[in-house]
Amino acid sequence: MSNVTDILRIDGLKTRFFTDNGQVNAVEDLDVRIEDGEVFGIVGESGSGKSVMALSIIDLIERPGRITDGEIWFRAPDIADELVETDAVDGDYVDLRAMSPEQRGLLRGSRFSMIFQDPMSSFNPSITVGEQIAEAVEAQRRARSNPRSLDAKSQHYGLTDYLLGGVLSSKRYVSEPSLDRAIELLELVGIPDPAERAEEYPHEYSGGMLQRAMIAQALAGEPDVLIADEPTTALDVTIQAQVLDLLAELQTETGMTILLITHNLGVVARMCDRVGVMYAGEIVERGTLGDVFDNPVHPYTQGLLGSIPDLQGVAERLQPIEGNVPSLLDHEMPDRCYFADRCPKAMEECLEHPPELAVNDRGQHATRCYLAETEYTAAKALPTDYFGATEAPAEADTAPEEPTATDGGDHQ
Amino acid sequence: MISKRLKQSLRSELRTSLMAKIGLVLILLILIVAMFAPFLAPHHPTETRVSDDPEVDKTDLPPIGMGYETSETRLVDGEMQTVETTIEPDHSFILGTNTLGQDILSRLMYGARVSVLVGVLGALLATAIGVPYGLTAGYFGDRIDDSLMRGADMMLAFPSLVLAIALVGVFRDTDFHTQQIPDPFVLAARHDTLGSFVPRGEHVAAMPASITFPVTVTLVVALVNWVWFARVARGEAMAIRQEEYVKAAKSVGASNATIIRQHVLPNSLTPVIVLATIQVAAIILLESALSYLGFSETTLTWGYDIQQGQSAAATYWWIAFMPGMAIVIAVISINLLGDWLRDALDPSIEGEGGV
Amino acid sequence: MSDVHQPLVKVDGLEKYFWENDSLLDRLLGEDPIAVRAVDGVSFDIREGETLGLVGESGCGKSTTGETLLRLQEPTGGAVEFEGNNVYDLEGKDLTAFRREAQVVFQDPFSSLDPRMTIGRIVQQPLDVHEVGSKAERRERVRDLLERVGLAAEHADRYPHEFSGGQRQRIGIARALALEPEFIVLDEPTSALDVSVQAQVLNLLDDLQADFGLTYLLISHDLSVIRHVCDRVAVMYLGEIVEIGPSEEIFGEPKHPYTKALLESVPRASTDERDRERETISGDVPSPRDPPSGCRFRTRCPEVIPPDDLEIDQSEYRAIMTLRQRVEQRAISLETVGDEDRRVDDDGEFVVENVDAFVADVKAQILETTLPPREDEAVTEALAPLAEENWDTAAERLEERYGSVCERANPDLGGGTHPAACHLVSAPGDSRSDG
Repeated sequence: MSNVTDILRIDGLKTRFFTDNGQVNAVEDLDVRIEDGEVFGIVGESGSGKSVMALSIIDLIERPGRITDGEIWFRAPDIADELVETDAVDGDYVDLRAMSPEQRGLLRGSRFSMIFQDPMSSFNPSITVGEQIAEAVEAQRRARSNPRSLDAKSQHYGLTDYLLGGVLSSKRYVSEPSLDRAIELLELVGIPDPAERAEEYPHEYSGGMLQRAMIAQALAGEPDVLIADEPTTALDVTIQAQVLDLLAELQTETGMTILLITHNLGVVARMCDRVGVMYAGEIVERGTLGDVFDNPVHPYTQGLLGSIPDLQGVAERLQPIEGNVPSLLDHEMPDRCYFADRCPKAMEECLEHPPELAVNDRGQHATRCYLAETEYTAAKALPTDYFGATEAPAEADTAPEEPTATDGGDHQ
Repeated sequence: MISKRLKQSLRSELRTSLMAKIGLVLILLILIVAMFAPFLAPHHPTETRVSDDPEVDKTDLPPIGMGYETSETRLVDGEMQTVETTIEPDHSFILGTNTLGQDILSRLMYGARVSVLVGVLGALLATAIGVPYGLTAGYFGDRIDDSLMRGADMMLAFPSLVLAIALVGVFRDTDFHTQQIPDPFVLAARHDTLGSFVPRGEHVAAMPASITFPVTVTLVVALVNWVWFARVARGEAMAIRQEEYVKAAKSVGASNATIIRQHVLPNSLTPVIVLATIQVAAIILLESALSYLGFSETTLTWGYDIQQGQSAAATYWWIAFMPGMAIVIAVISINLLGDWLRDALDPSIEGEGGV
Repeated sequence: MSDVHQPLVKVDGLEKYFWENDSLLDRLLGEDPIAVRAVDGVSFDIREGETLGLVGESGCGKSTTGETLLRLQEPTGGAVEFEGNNVYDLEGKDLTAFRREAQVVFQDPFSSLDPRMTIGRIVQQPLDVHEVGSKAERRERVRDLLERVGLAAEHADRYPHEFSGGQRQRIGIARALALEPEFIVLDEPTSALDVSVQAQVLNLLDDLQADFGLTYLLISHDLSVIRHVCDRVAVMYLGEIVEIGPSEEIFGEPKHPYTKALLESVPRASTDERDRERETISGDVPSPRDPPSGCRFRTRCPEVIPPDDLEIDQSEYRAIMTLRQRVEQRAISLETVGDEDRRVDDDGEFVVENVDAFVADVKAQILETTLPPREDEAVTEALAPLAEENWDTAAERLEERYGSVCERANPDLGGGTHPAACHLVSAPGDSRSDG
């Protein structure tokens, strides 16, 4: 709790979706500390809640979702000074959840920004890339100059401009200096001939170029924390390598913190200092890259690492994790280790939900698994058909490796 | 065809949307009225009540609650006198009467029969022409698509009303221009033995024994509107032929006919159903326009009634207003129904419901 | 894996072009159709019982190759022999027989199953089309198939949306197996799946191959999947095969610079990944509408061959080649290079004295390295016409000095067990000229 270098501390975060099928616990009681200037990786499969966690941090959860509980402490001494009399302050830290939506909105872009998986749908197809980045620059400048003054917000941008902009398509929404800054940003992210490219529309960009442009847009407000949600998943490997290099370079230059969310263990290994492995809405194992990759304790982490075909090694049989990712529906989430039904080392203890346990004394490496403290013995093992018989009675006749159809789809 | 899921989605959409409820209620009302017009209509729809005797004459009576005063100057005993008279509504003519003394409400109820018949049959016919046409164009693509759809575009280039009038002119002299459809309820009421089972038997027996169904107009509205179905079906077919399940079917050697029947048609039905619903409204409007212009040959339709009331619209406004309202209500309620179907059948809501 | 096996599938010079601007309207307006060369002369063999991997980045034409060789699309040119018969000549009964023998599993487990059919009907469809057995026999076979791929036979009455991605992919595999084919094209069968589920499916495919003696063509962009599954690998770039050979050789000693770059780019899931030095390639894949002359990889190739008489570092030569591409494509905004006022005066007249400063600005902006004095001089001289917006002269001057064999001739793939289409591998003499 007292580690002063943390930039972000998340305590007991719960994000839920209230759907027609029931309550979905997308993020369940999540604690995590992110240090200033590090690259923290969140790795997990689809439906593990990793993207929802990211959206929760920058407050972009939309209906039917809601953050129901938890605190998100963000280190920002200047804001803490301003808010000193409220509950939302603890030393240099402010609780994002306790701040007003207006105050929180001001942090978006200037303190936090986010890049998404699909750059194509993140840009407006009818406005040039340069203008869209300039808009972000403009918004940040206005927010910075004086957040409380309405005049500041309309600097260089009056009602007349707005009205004219609606009529004349050539009328720019953004001022000249912002556009210049946008071109600088495009150059920063390695787009050749940025002045020319700034005047092009998103469809004239390739996927890799557009991902770079999105990074440029995210950098417009010089954020302290960059949340990158599967930034390279839609890209080819050679382009992925370029974008990862770019992110690493920018991180060294600006010293910003990156929260990198991905399903690709290779990307995590390339980029991250510390890693959290997410499963069913919680972090099941976290630690330094070495802790998690070389010395995994949780059987899920082990299974994940065993599932990837090795690029160098000889063709051995893969060791997949049996079964499917759980549905996260509240009424289907029993009070036990969520992974127990797929776990090859499920024991009697696992029928009780495990707390986070330290693996060693150094304090970094922790896991939500009893194996951190006890050895697995066959004597304590649960019978193999234990969950097949009790958890999914309707599916009891299913082949054992596919207990039930649950990837968030509806059931009839 | 209708899966459990579809039913669920229809129901939940109906539950949440007030507009859908209103639309459904109105549609059901119109259908019931059209179907049971002989029972519900208070008078014979074409019976005229013109006479010199003010007691018998029932022309131009206002709707209930709309009594008005009129002044009349005439020669009385060699002197010009202005006589103020008050025209009181007659309680047996709820919506008033027209210049021939016919009951407007009864005419509207019988008019609904023609509108619903032409609307539904016209839309079905347009679907039957347009969907196979569009599916063929969209599924095969390239040259076939080019030539088929250019032909369809040419149809669209004509203003639909002008096209319709021209087509009516072509079909006018054929034998099937209009068709008399006997009314089963009236026949039953007039039947010696069945008659006693029909409620309000005497009343029903006095109703017209058949209705005039404008075959030409139905054909024409279908010929004018099928292009929309072709375009929608083509768009769907073009999307569906890219789907991997179509490629998979090809790879096992399924014929084009099999693929269209098994995959393309069922998966393109949703937007076609929505379109068909909305087209019923468009066709009702077109039919009204045609009968308004006198191309319909039936005199028991809403459009014709508007035309009849038009000349006297300044004083006897209700004669044209009432059938006008009937058209507006029918069109709006059908569109509400269409919106409901579209929202409920929306494929983006179908599919994955997860987070 | 040895030459004892006859090739089951023999692809010879397969071409598939798509045409843009080819509608009736375009032809009326006299627009010339543009060829998109998705597959441009691809040849390879697939031997009985083996798994051939086809790897490449998106847009390289690997999926089109798979679909064209199954005759799901008609080719523009070339031939595919299956068991000795040209697939494109087959008709009637023979075509039906081919459709039984060759099957496909698609990438997208959502789009590959008709949402309005039960999975029983989906798996049964091939049997219905070919009228295999009686109704009851077909249903029995569907149950067997579903169980074989790890699903319950009772699931036959359910609809696809009730299943997870991995389960749907199993259904797709069951459908492909229904007719007991010899050969299956696997088009990115696991790229939509999570890693743990991917591993299940890969293991299943492996088991099925062993049980039924299947031959696979595995199309994938994922090099680790290819490495894990394939006996031999073909690497595609912009519609051409640049290298083909046994898996161990391709991954152990890749010959083509593209293959090397591809392998370098994949991040490994191990702790020493951060310290691994790697050389990534810059730039994007060029458009298949207008592929580069000569070797198609030359615009990104880190090993592009300098002329014999030029003494220059490879990285410097690469930088000059990139500069040349920018000049040839006129992709330098002259207005914003340096100070516009210096290049032209107030009347728009060209200012001669400032050309040197302008060229220095261009070099500073575009060139990533500093060149040795002799080359620097040559480049400076070549760029001078740019000040007058005389692009062609600049491009010609640069080409004269820096023209590479890689842009003049398209290297042949060549023969042997592990050929690569690169001038560095084959002697430049035996390559075909790209007129």
